[in-house]
Amino acid sequence: MTPDRTARHDPTFPNTRIVARREFVERVRSRPYAASTVLLATLAVFVAFLPIIIRLADRDTTTTIAVVADDAALAGRASSVMRSVLSTSGGTPDSWVFEVETDREAVRTAVGEGRLDGALFATRDASGRLDFTFITGQGLGADRTQLVAIGTFAVAFLEWTERVQPSGAVPFLPPTLDVLAGAGPTSGGTPLGAGEIASRQLLGTVLIVVLFLTMVIYGMWVAAGVAAEKETRVMELLISAASPRQLVLGKVLGIGLAGLLQYVTILLPAVLALALQRPIGEALGLGSGITPPLWGLTPAFAVAYGTYFVLGFTLYALIYAAAGSLVSRVEDLQVIALPMSLIGIAGYLQAVIALSGGLSTFLRVSSFVPFWSPFVMFSRLTVGRVEPWELVLSIGLLVLTIALAAALAIRVYAAGVLLYGQRPGLGKILRAVLSPAA
Amino acid sequence: MSLIIDGLSKRFDRIQALDQLSIEVPAGQIFGLLGANGAGKTTVMRIALGVLRADAGTITWGGTDHRRLQRSTWGYLPEERGLYPKMTVLDELVFFARLHGASTGQAIRDANGWLTRLRVPEFASRRCGELSKGNQQKVQFLASVIHDPDILLLDEPFTGLDPVNVVLIRQAILELRERGKTIVLSTHQMETVEALCETIAIIDLGRTVINGPLRDVKRSTGRQSVILALDGPADLSWLGDLPGVSILRPGVDRVELDLEPGTDPDGVLAAVVARGARVRHFEVADPTLEQVFIELVGHGAADDETLRPARTDPAEEPAA
Repeated sequence: MTPDRTARHDPTFPNTRIVARREFVERVRSRPYAASTVLLATLAVFVAFLPIIIRLADRDTTTTIAVVADDAALAGRASSVMRSVLSTSGGTPDSWVFEVETDREAVRTAVGEGRLDGALFATRDASGRLDFTFITGQGLGADRTQLVAIGTFAVAFLEWTERVQPSGAVPFLPPTLDVLAGAGPTSGGTPLGAGEIASRQLLGTVLIVVLFLTMVIYGMWVAAGVAAEKETRVMELLISAASPRQLVLGKVLGIGLAGLLQYVTILLPAVLALALQRPIGEALGLGSGITPPLWGLTPAFAVAYGTYFVLGFTLYALIYAAAGSLVSRVEDLQVIALPMSLIGIAGYLQAVIALSGGLSTFLRVSSFVPFWSPFVMFSRLTVGRVEPWELVLSIGLLVLTIALAAALAIRVYAAGVLLYGQRPGLGKILRAVLSPAA
Repeated sequence: MSLIIDGLSKRFDRIQALDQLSIEVPAGQIFGLLGANGAGKTTVMRIALGVLRADAGTITWGGTDHRRLQRSTWGYLPEERGLYPKMTVLDELVFFARLHGASTGQAIRDANGWLTRLRVPEFASRRCGELSKGNQQKVQFLASVIHDPDILLLDEPFTGLDPVNVVLIRQAILELRERGKTIVLSTHQMETVEALCETIAIIDLGRTVINGPLRDVKRSTGRQSVILALDGPADLSWLGDLPGVSILRPGVDRVELDLEPGTDPDGVLAAVVARGARVRHFEVADPTLEQVFIELVGHGAADDETLRPARTDPAEEPAA
């Protein structure tokens, strides 16, 4: 395509900035904005406090752990010490059941199949130090895993006081404890600690829920904004004052920034709630078993999240802007925006599945599909299963799709804003996209 | 310097909206663009603004292609009115002025100046959605002139206004003309055009029917009007039987006659005097614009031509 020599000099800025500023100011001043900010912030804080809430409700849950040791005496001692220590530190006397077993493989299988909540393997090395390996099942929270760690310490200390101390020759050696996921995610083949898994899953769930809600909500803001401009007919004035490119990009930018502001406002209290979870848990008498909940929140993780939010929102918002231009009334928007919402929901659901630890080929492919990757790839990142090249490819495809979507959205918008009272068929939309721009 | 529309064509699916339309608008004048609904007036304006692309033809201003002109060259008052209902009038005006390149300070000064000129300075802090329809229309008029454009495209600017506001907007338009602005007034209100415009074009089915100074257009048909008033009631219906004469507006002691080209008004006067009537008033005038429009187009300007299917047979084209 040759450049149009007759085209006026019409740079994207400053009109895009002027449109964006209006969108931002009007949005932030509006009552629905304030209401949704408060609502979502409350929701996020509630989700952040879920572990404490669950733990409060979970006091009566019984956790069954198999204990396997080199000798029956050690197994029996470990079992009884763990029961007495844990029942006093983290629950009622009936909340922990320890069963002495001998067949390690059978026990592993039982944990994998969910018949046992976990298995503790104890071995004694040449120096007399105890080494523990704890296999965690899917239903075992990070808090209980930590209590098991405390219990193993108690077992080792008692063992040392009874057998080693009288000679006075061997100092106390703290036991080692390897926590292995018996039915959970791994990272590059290395199993994640159960505590970290739980922490990341919690954080990932909060963030993905907020990511989905905000992307769809902000996307709909863009669509509704465009449709309202058509409905009020202010569009007639607008299209003579700014180009479709300036109007679409300005709207996406302005609403995007308003969304980002709301985002930060929503997430800050939630992050604070997560950070304060341990002291709050202790204050409520829930023991010290609350996992450090921000284990997964590294700066790189936050950058990845920000990147996927910005790119994901931009992609969805561009499509929503085009959709908004095709209807004459805001009420008609739901019908035309539904396919986009369904695509978003499909991505969200896959992300939730990926978060729970299962990673099928389908999910792996989904994490590169631009409309889904903001959810699914972020979900994979959360549980630590992404190679660098996968990340680069996923973001690259997303950026490329955004460029294509922007070009298409601007063309659809340019034609769509002039259509009144007509139900835009696919043919009409296609002709608009393919026809030369004004 | 003038705004020249040359051979402009535009088709929407089956509708030939513009068909080699050519018009010349002299700079610094108020120009009347006349046509029924669907004649192509809005399409011409949208092409000029760059919102639509013509299939063929050009629009130039002082020799420069319209697509090279800065957007701020144009001011546009669309027929479909609308504003952001939740913005204040001042914010709204500043927003549109800034889109056209004005600084915020200048835009605020100009907006307040215009609101004062239209006798509504108190509107500045009020939300647009709180204003009456007529007042919203005034604000929209201001939104189209706030950036001081060289060419103003006004699409039915007086529709829906009360008589007081009609006068205010008319004064504003005349003031803009005095400042050298070129104003294209698209309307099917003939009286408005006769009162304000120096040059006009009549378009129909996307084609130029006639384009020129108002007086020339009115005389282009060769018809004349005669207004005759008698000193007392009389039956004047017999005047319609005179050759080349038809009654436009009958009355008790007054009649308005339409004279076909070549009919001598003096002959009419002589016939009335010969009947012994006492003539109180006798006036020979150009036909009204409405008469000319009907004569040239074949139907009234209020008739709706929207969505008329495209003609494909050149033989059906009406004479321009």
